[in-house]
Amino acid sequence: MTSDNDRRRGLLARLRGRPVARSRGRRRLGAAVRLAAALMLAGGAYTVFAPGVQAQDNPPLTAAGNEGKALFDVSCVTCHGRNAQGVEGRGPSLIGVGSASVEFQVGSGRMPMARQEAQAMRKPPQFTDEQVRQLGQYIQELGGGPQVPSGNLRDGANMATGGELFRINCSQCHAFGGGGGALSSGKYAPSLKPASDRQIYAAMLSGPQNMPVFGDNQITPQEKADIIAYIQETLKSDQDQGGFNLGRYGPSTEGLAIFLVGIVALVFASLWIAGKS
Amino acid sequence: MKRRKFDAAALPAKTAGAVDDRFQVATPLRKLLNKVFPDHWSFLLGEIALFSFVVLLLTGVFLTFFYEPAMTEVTYDGSYAPLRGTPMSAAYASSLDISFDVRGGLIMRQMHHWAALLFMAAIVVHMLRVFFTGAFRKPRETNWIIGSLLFWVGFLAGFTGYSLPDDGLSGTGLRIASGIILSIPVVGSWVSSSIFGGEFPGMIIISRFFIAHVLLIPGLLVALISVHLGLVFKQKHTQWPGPGRTNENVVGERMFPRYALKQGGFFMVVFGVIALMGGLFQINPIWYFGPYEAWVVSAASQPDWYVMFLDGSTRLMPGWEISIPIGDGYVIPPLFWPTVVLPGILVGLSTMYPFLEARRLKDYKHHNLLQRPRDVPARTAVGAMAVAFYVVLTLSGGNDVIADKFHISLNAMTWAGRVGLLVIPPLAYYVTYRICLGLQQHDREVLAHGVETGIIKRLPDGRFVEVHQPLTSADGHDGHAPALDYVGWVVPKKMNRLGALGPAIRGFFYPIEKPAEAPVSPGHPPVEPRAEREEVGSGESRR
Amino acid sequence: MSTHTEHQAPQGPEPVDVNDPRLSRFEIVQEGARRDDIEIVHYEEQVVPGSKAERRLTRTVALMFLLTGVAATAFLVIYIWWPWQWEAGRGGDKLYTPLLGLTLGLALLGVGFGILTWGKKLLPKEVSIQDRHDQGGNPEDRKITGETMLYLADELGVKRRPLLGISLLAGLAPVGAVAAAPLIGGLIEQPHKNNQMFTTGFAPAEGGEKIRLIREDGRPIRPADVSVGGQLTVFPGIEGGVSNRHADSPTLLIHLREDDAQKSRAANERKGRGDFMWGNYVAFSKICTHAGCPASLYEQQTNRLLCPCHQSQFLITDNAKPIFGPANRPLPQLPIEVDEEGFFVARSDYTETIGPDFWERP
Repeated sequence: MTSDNDRRRGLLARLRGRPVARSRGRRRLGAAVRLAAALMLAGGAYTVFAPGVQAQDNPPLTAAGNEGKALFDVSCVTCHGRNAQGVEGRGPSLIGVGSASVEFQVGSGRMPMARQEAQAMRKPPQFTDEQVRQLGQYIQELGGGPQVPSGNLRDGANMATGGELFRINCSQCHAFGGGGGALSSGKYAPSLKPASDRQIYAAMLSGPQNMPVFGDNQITPQEKADIIAYIQETLKSDQDQGGFNLGRYGPSTEGLAIFLVGIVALVFASLWIAGKS
Repeated sequence: MKRRKFDAAALPAKTAGAVDDRFQVATPLRKLLNKVFPDHWSFLLGEIALFSFVVLLLTGVFLTFFYEPAMTEVTYDGSYAPLRGTPMSAAYASSLDISFDVRGGLIMRQMHHWAALLFMAAIVVHMLRVFFTGAFRKPRETNWIIGSLLFWVGFLAGFTGYSLPDDGLSGTGLRIASGIILSIPVVGSWVSSSIFGGEFPGMIIISRFFIAHVLLIPGLLVALISVHLGLVFKQKHTQWPGPGRTNENVVGERMFPRYALKQGGFFMVVFGVIALMGGLFQINPIWYFGPYEAWVVSAASQPDWYVMFLDGSTRLMPGWEISIPIGDGYVIPPLFWPTVVLPGILVGLSTMYPFLEARRLKDYKHHNLLQRPRDVPARTAVGAMAVAFYVVLTLSGGNDVIADKFHISLNAMTWAGRVGLLVIPPLAYYVTYRICLGLQQHDREVLAHGVETGIIKRLPDGRFVEVHQPLTSADGHDGHAPALDYVGWVVPKKMNRLGALGPAIRGFFYPIEKPAEAPVSPGHPPVEPRAEREEVGSGESRR
Repeated sequence: MSTHTEHQAPQGPEPVDVNDPRLSRFEIVQEGARRDDIEIVHYEEQVVPGSKAERRLTRTVALMFLLTGVAATAFLVIYIWWPWQWEAGRGGDKLYTPLLGLTLGLALLGVGFGILTWGKKLLPKEVSIQDRHDQGGNPEDRKITGETMLYLADELGVKRRPLLGISLLAGLAPVGAVAAAPLIGGLIEQPHKNNQMFTTGFAPAEGGEKIRLIREDGRPIRPADVSVGGQLTVFPGIEGGVSNRHADSPTLLIHLREDDAQKSRAANERKGRGDFMWGNYVAFSKICTHAGCPASLYEQQTNRLLCPCHQSQFLITDNAKPIFGPANRPLPQLPIEVDEEGFFVARSDYTETIGPDFWERP
């Protein structure tokens, strides 16, 4: 029993944090368009069994990868170290985080960080989309990892399923309207309003900062499409039936509104009514 | 046979005669028509609560026609696509139907909810007015108690109503309520299982809350409000001190026609503001919260504002449990203190305050004249302390939203609330007390020396003094105007209140006569005094 | 009611004969007021009849009433003809409620301010003074009423015949209890029926069969279904497991990183729960031990679990011990393992009580 467990645990330990489990899930997609990506991931699985070897050997990079490396060596190397190995106390290793993580962190302007703080904040991105792609390509070629598929990420989405999944997995942190919420000690779940389809997808895949990872094994690409559709089409397309939504912060802003609007208006009215004419 | 001539002009008189023959209403009606009410804007705050209650009844009746108070599971099939096919309770489904499939249902729902928030807000504001002006003193203690009870009964009405849609947010609130009931020592689990008909959430709570919300609590509210108004009528309204106003009279307008017209108009205004808010501001978008499921929650889960102080006290309470090592061991959970004991103390203190104050001041006389808050610094300071306490708790009830939106650490917000709850109320007491004394002193100074005119005079010996305009022209024994007695009412402190310059601002919101010679450049204000300022007013008081 | 004329204001003139045909209507009104202890000390038209100001004010008020008519008509038109049913992606229905609110609000404000302006600007200003009589009633009346009530008590003779009072009370007390009994008796519910407060849906079935962990759609869970640094809400794989009937059963299954898992395992062993984890997977109740909200804000780097209702924070790697906020008790841990088919099962039910604390929680 114990040895069996140990063996399993050992295998798991090797799988842990590596893209194999996710690439398996992706292979199940079977979508022809995504074949190339899947193949590349399968190739990337090699890195699992020979971790670090590739990173140190400086394997031949593609043209895009080389461009990305050039960018990396200028802007990221200070914290993430040479060949993205990470620097103790400054930045983690990026081996195996995949292009999804790069796309999210750099594409949303969180990286490069302005300073060390509780949580990286969304800023206007410092790199163009093309540069982000190149950086992602470099990190991908360096250590593999999850990737955001190309194409429409909301294909055949079912909004009701998406809503249900959103409420069970996302709303506790990002709030019912996607406006975000506070976490412990200065950390927070950001608002989903500025996030693009690909960024939401990348965030679920890579679990940036304190967000739990929702790999394809756990929430399938189809379910991710449902969630994205719910966020983008229901929460963000401003479909509030009841007028101005007060920022969708729940009852706190409603309470503020009744005093600032209701009571103030009526006190002014009573001042006028009882005033000298 | 001769046809009887129909005299339309005589009809009202004839009808009135016929009615009085049967019901003898002429005398009581005359008394009703001839009832004098003092006029002051702050006396209209309670009316806001009364009128929103009427709106609550009207909209609430509409909602009952479409709401189904049942927790049976149904699959939603209405027109709101993002929830179609989702299993939910019949209560939630019917609330969604009110929002999406009943024509005009959403605005009724939103008006009902806004009216509820306004009802509670107006009660609190009215209560503050009554407190700070001392209107609760003998003979009106009973009405103060009834008013306090109205707040707590309104609180219950609000909470039960908040729970009825059975959406994710209200279910979470209900879950916390069950936790609060469970925390009561000895009987908690029995009370909880009796209310919920078994383990939370059971299948019956919504229908029980429904009958409480539409019958029992409104019945109680109507009864309390009737007595409240009846007592105001019987005891006659308090009034501010002022010329001709004594403790034995009421100076104002007769109820009809002007006062009643104003009341009717104000009702329409309150109704209109609620309608505007109900249409323009979305409240409680239940379709985003989804049906209540015990495992679903949203960030920023808050109760409505009037419950938020309890949520705040719960958040600030440290996790201190008391365990009693008898037998298997018993516990008093930390939840018990901020949610059961604290409101209990608040109910006791708020209802008993008039008697506490009377006892302390040994004041058992009748009081029909109001007091300016500055004239009773101790009471005003106690009130400020209570308000500070309540505000700290209420803000703490939304501390996660504040932390998130202003980028403050959540844990720091909790600590700020804990420290603030202990530090800010005493501070508020002290500061308010000093401000009251300062204002009093200023009043006395003006009465003794007159109003500052802004004119600097140079004396022959080279000193500069400001010219004061005395409030009375009578000469005292040493050539100075004698100090006037303070009568508990506004002391004019600006020359234009004395008729010297005429009111500077004529319009309600903006001056109709724009101040002449407004400085063009803020760097170079006009240094020359205006000519007419030199002529100090005659000293005639307009009051 | 005529007694009140006796309380007339002392400065009032002699009572007027209201049938005197020479009296104007206002004088009768004044006399009526006088009978109610009211003195109308100031009564002044605000506008001169027929003046320009009067016409202007009349027009203003009329305009407000007409605005009400227009707004109310607009309300009806919108109510009937505006597209109102929810339809994704179309703007029209979104404006339905705001438009209704706007028109209704304007209609009401129009009539409200119309009436107010009428009353405030067009009606004569007045100052009336009414006397209060609130210093207790007539002392004679007080005496008479008091004596009458004492007389009633004497008539009943409870003092002389104490048995009547005692027996009446003794009889009424049970009647009161009868009134209360059905309500209390009907409502009261034994909280510990089937030991329900201490068990959850994960209690092994009758035959000792272990309960599977399932997802919200009923699928059982393999270890590979939860990503490293990921969390999954799981339910007991029984009938009604994913419903509010088992509101205390929702559980959070977390796949920890290797080093976090080691910390967690060590913490488990300190508490004698060496076999509660399976691999790097750990399962804690999702129901907060404070007030029962789902504590589900999992921070995968700090391994804190935050409850959004009252901000209790639990450290997953230390047996979900509360480290901040009002909670006083760690989240209960569900012992888990993987069965022969490779799905997660609960080794047993929770060993601690789920949800908010109560008096008899051991």
